Amino acid sequence: MNEVCFKNIDKDQCWSLETYEASGGYSTWRKILKGEYTPDEIINELKTSGLRGRGGAGFPTGLKWSFMPRNAQGQKYVICNSDEGEPGTCKDRDILRFNPHSVIEGMAIGSFVMNATIGYNYIRGEFMEPFNRFEGALKEAYAAGLLGKNINASEVSFDLYSHLGAGAYIVGEETALLESLEGKKGQPRFKPPFPANVGLYGKPTTINNTESFASVPEIMSKGGQWFADLGVENSGGTKLFSVSGHVNNPANFEVSMGMPFSELLELAGGMRNGAKLKAVIPGGSSTPVLTAEVAMGMTMDYDGIEKAGSMLGAGSVIIMDESTCMVKALTRLAHFYYDESCGQCTPCREGTGWLYRVLKRIMDGKGKAEDIDLLMSVQEKIMGNTICALGDAAAMPVESFLRNFREEFEYYIEHGKSMVEK
Amino acid sequence: MASITIEIDGNIVNAKAGERLITITDREGISVPRFCYHKKLSVSTSCRMCLVDIEGVTKPQTACSTPVSDGMKIHTQNEKAKASQKAVMEFLLINHPLDCPICDQGGECELQDVAVEYGSDVSRFSEGKRVVAPSDIGPLIQTDMTRCIHCTRCVRFGSEIAGIMEMGGTGRGEDLKIEPFLAEGITSELSGNMIDVCPVGALTSKPFRYELRSWQMASADSVARHDLVGSNLYAQTYKGLVKRVVSGDNELVNETWISDRDRFSYEGLAHENRLLLPQIKVEGQWKEVEWNVALDFAIKGLNKNALNSRKAHKLGGLASSTATTEEFYLMQKMLREIGCENIDYRLNVNNLDDPIHLDSNIKLSDLECVDNVLVIGANLRLEQPMINLRLRKAQLAGASVSALNVKAFDYNHKTNHSTVSPNEIATILAGALKVILEKNSLEAPSYITNINPSELSINLADKLLDSERSVIVLGEHVINNTQAASIAQMVAEIAKQVNGKTLNLTSSANTLGAQYAHFLPKSKGMNTNEMLAADMSAFLLLDIYPEYDFHHSNSAVEALSKDDVFVVSLNSFNNELVAQYSDVLLPMAAMYETSGSHVNINHDMQSFAAAVKAPEEAKPAWKILKVIADLLELPGFHYENVTQVSEELKHQKIYEHKQDITIDLGKKSSAIETIWMHSAYHSDALLRHAKSLSSSKIGQTNSASMNTATAKELSLECGNTYLGVPVVVSDTVADRCVFVSSNQSTDMGRES
Repeated sequence: MNEVCFKNIDKDQCWSLETYEASGGYSTWRKILKGEYTPDEIINELKTSGLRGRGGAGFPTGLKWSFMPRNAQGQKYVICNSDEGEPGTCKDRDILRFNPHSVIEGMAIGSFVMNATIGYNYIRGEFMEPFNRFEGALKEAYAAGLLGKNINASEVSFDLYSHLGAGAYIVGEETALLESLEGKKGQPRFKPPFPANVGLYGKPTTINNTESFASVPEIMSKGGQWFADLGVENSGGTKLFSVSGHVNNPANFEVSMGMPFSELLELAGGMRNGAKLKAVIPGGSSTPVLTAEVAMGMTMDYDGIEKAGSMLGAGSVIIMDESTCMVKALTRLAHFYYDESCGQCTPCREGTGWLYRVLKRIMDGKGKAEDIDLLMSVQEKIMGNTICALGDAAAMPVESFLRNFREEFEYYIEHGKSMVEK
Repeated sequence: MASITIEIDGNIVNAKAGERLITITDREGISVPRFCYHKKLSVSTSCRMCLVDIEGVTKPQTACSTPVSDGMKIHTQNEKAKASQKAVMEFLLINHPLDCPICDQGGECELQDVAVEYGSDVSRFSEGKRVVAPSDIGPLIQTDMTRCIHCTRCVRFGSEIAGIMEMGGTGRGEDLKIEPFLAEGITSELSGNMIDVCPVGALTSKPFRYELRSWQMASADSVARHDLVGSNLYAQTYKGLVKRVVSGDNELVNETWISDRDRFSYEGLAHENRLLLPQIKVEGQWKEVEWNVALDFAIKGLNKNALNSRKAHKLGGLASSTATTEEFYLMQKMLREIGCENIDYRLNVNNLDDPIHLDSNIKLSDLECVDNVLVIGANLRLEQPMINLRLRKAQLAGASVSALNVKAFDYNHKTNHSTVSPNEIATILAGALKVILEKNSLEAPSYITNINPSELSINLADKLLDSERSVIVLGEHVINNTQAASIAQMVAEIAKQVNGKTLNLTSSANTLGAQYAHFLPKSKGMNTNEMLAADMSAFLLLDIYPEYDFHHSNSAVEALSKDDVFVVSLNSFNNELVAQYSDVLLPMAAMYETSGSHVNINHDMQSFAAAVKAPEEAKPAWKILKVIADLLELPGFHYENVTQVSEELKHQKIYEHKQDITIDLGKKSSAIETIWMHSAYHSDALLRHAKSLSSSKIGQTNSASMNTATAKELSLECGNTYLGVPVVVSDTVADRCVFVSSNQSTDMGRES
């Protein structure tokens, strides 16, 4: 536990440059500055490590970095996505608070691999404390001569800036983030072209999640194989899980991939008041909900969660006990997506409002028997038809809640009240 | 791009690698529904209506954005594609009012059309529908934003084509509203195109609101005649009236856009001020009469005053530049037949002794390919909106644009503005010419040997020398420059030296038609100014409104009002001054009411047929002129239709009354320089009678701009008037200059 991003978390001033360097921080970056690494060596190490994108999509980081046209003419950018907004997720916030230098070094290493001399860390608008921490770390790094132009008289240059968002969930989508960073309204771009070719200001750009970047320095200093061995096949290394909901000790836990869910639940202090587990959303609000039975048999890695019928996502585990009204829970989630839809494309703009309104009507005791089929049909029509993944994110919870807990919805429609809440 | 083959719905189709799928399906006639896609705008993919199934790709893909690659197999109609298309259709309709019968777009609505194929009979949406408060965005566009489907075509039109992002999307999710950012609404000179691109009834024509259904109207191909572009458009008519004008497609002329001026001028046709009946003046009193009486009266008067007494040289013929080419041709043919050489269309030029000569030798479609532009004396956006649109494209593609103007006008593209007094232009050009000649190792002519090129001249010369495809644009503000002819000559010389092109915008409407029709005085003839100063005995005037059209309007009216001058006026609108000096008033057809042609700046003679009949007794001017010629018993006027006239004149070469010019850079005035321009929506009679245009922001323009020092010198401040026009103090105006843009007549103005 706590071997990568959180390895210094128990130390005093764990966010300081001193603490970071005392535990071997910036050793890879200093080697790069001395010319002791080639980009390909780093990419190979990452490929060996099995590190996959920690923002939710799980795309192999080494492969992503290798796609970047590093020899293309002109400016290239490396961007860290710290616009952590998925309900249930709070891991990047703590990385920024407690280990900001790992993000800086990870981005610096990335900038060298991708030949990008400018980086931006786009931080969620509400994250004032993490933003200030990161800014402080940036100052330290500049003061220590670790960033800037021709760093330590080398040919390597890297300028890093942080940027505070303005409070839109959708900007966590990487192309919406680019738009926002360019000063425009945060709305996703259509793909292709992908950011690796046409990114920030139309230039080749690599965007990774905070946790992905923060994992890179430790992978480089201890080796890709070391990292891979921490986890299981297809899911190398450790992962931060944000456990929230009806547990005694909701928190972020950095554990090895492949840990049984039951163990993670124990780490989080077990069920609150000894209540019985009812449902688990394993990867953040947009991933399908699982029943207790299925969840208890699942391991916490990409394949394990997929086998159980959901996704690892950003590792945001929402625990619900028997007192949870699933109609109410889904209505709340539907409201979130309705509220956060950017409005650009039709299925999401119109469909999220439709889903929410039908659920709200059911909650108001005005549900109709055909509403369940209607909800199923509407989510199906959003799914896969939108510009970005927010459409799917809004649809998936509806599908899984209705599939797994249909009787609660039927009860609510028939009786005009919750089956669970008294 | 490499040639490839792809498969669409089982058929092999040839394409180029990387082409967007929708351009291929459109070319092949395969129907793919769409709302946000527009061939002239950037791809948005936001409506999602064009989703198709591509083999090997899990999710459906938008045809508008997908680049094709070799061997790609696409299904536009299979179950997966249809399911996505129908899903999007349902989403589009849930919040859209389903009250097509009371929507102004009904019958020509893209949403309605597509819904027939992809929509469902019954709505499954039983929640409350979204309602959006309407906003008043000006007199031209009616909004009904509850109907908006957020395709953003209007937004993209504004930012990409009109060059002014007045519409935008505010709010997010369901609250996303398409609305103007500023309270003053939409002010673009091209705003009406938003009506054309809007697929639904959210943006419709305000003047046309609730008038008619599209299927009730006939549609006639026509050509706009307010500028040198001759935009192609459709005049939509009902029961003999033009009810609406929409844009036509012509890549070589106007692509698919038209200016608001061309779109809304038709409103003037129905103005209560139309001249409807022939009238004669008997003992100082106007009397409405039959056509034959009026024409007899006219012939008798002309015979008595000019022809019978062999005084054809005392007859003058003047016409407005908005006339058709055939009208110019018939009028000059008739006048020349009776021995009259006093023929002119140049009414607003102070100095016709040294007229401007400059070819326009670049095609409209080539304007967007130039790499360097020098604009001299033009407020391009308002005066030549369609030309500015092309030049803006060139600028966005990297061309450098420089402007020498009396004022730093609001161009909607990046321009290096130099505000200079009209007095300085010739010297600046002479300096530039000198630099260019020196670079080309050529001897400089004597008039520039003493010129010491300024930094500005050197800069302009360098840009011209560095470019491969330059164009120099000479604008209307130059026409009354004391050195106008010299400026034009130097522009031609500079362009020649740098292998560049020239664009002569010093006159407008159908000026080139007049030149092809030889509507100019030849050897012994008098020009406008000479006629007005001479002892004339008769005039034949075609659609002239003196207080707007003549440079010297007061003296023109005086000359025409003399007791012994017999004046025959053909007009489409009533006018007090015309009534004062005329002896016969013959009501003539206006634009859209007459057949003929317009010669545009590409030198293309674009023909059009009358879309409607002229009201009451008004007749097409070419017919009136033909009958007058017949009554004068002149040979060669046996025309049965206007096409025969067009056939006869189309082989004529352009005629310009060229004469050698001695360039004299010393000829400068020391007075404060005033450039007087009519506001863009007051440049001809039809426009001045188009009510919605007049009430728009551009139509309301009425200002005399001057800088602080000039205002002080003239003892003026904001709130005062200058030549009757409200003063605006702005330091964007060159020193000791006044730029007037006015919707008033000029009788108070230019005479000072």
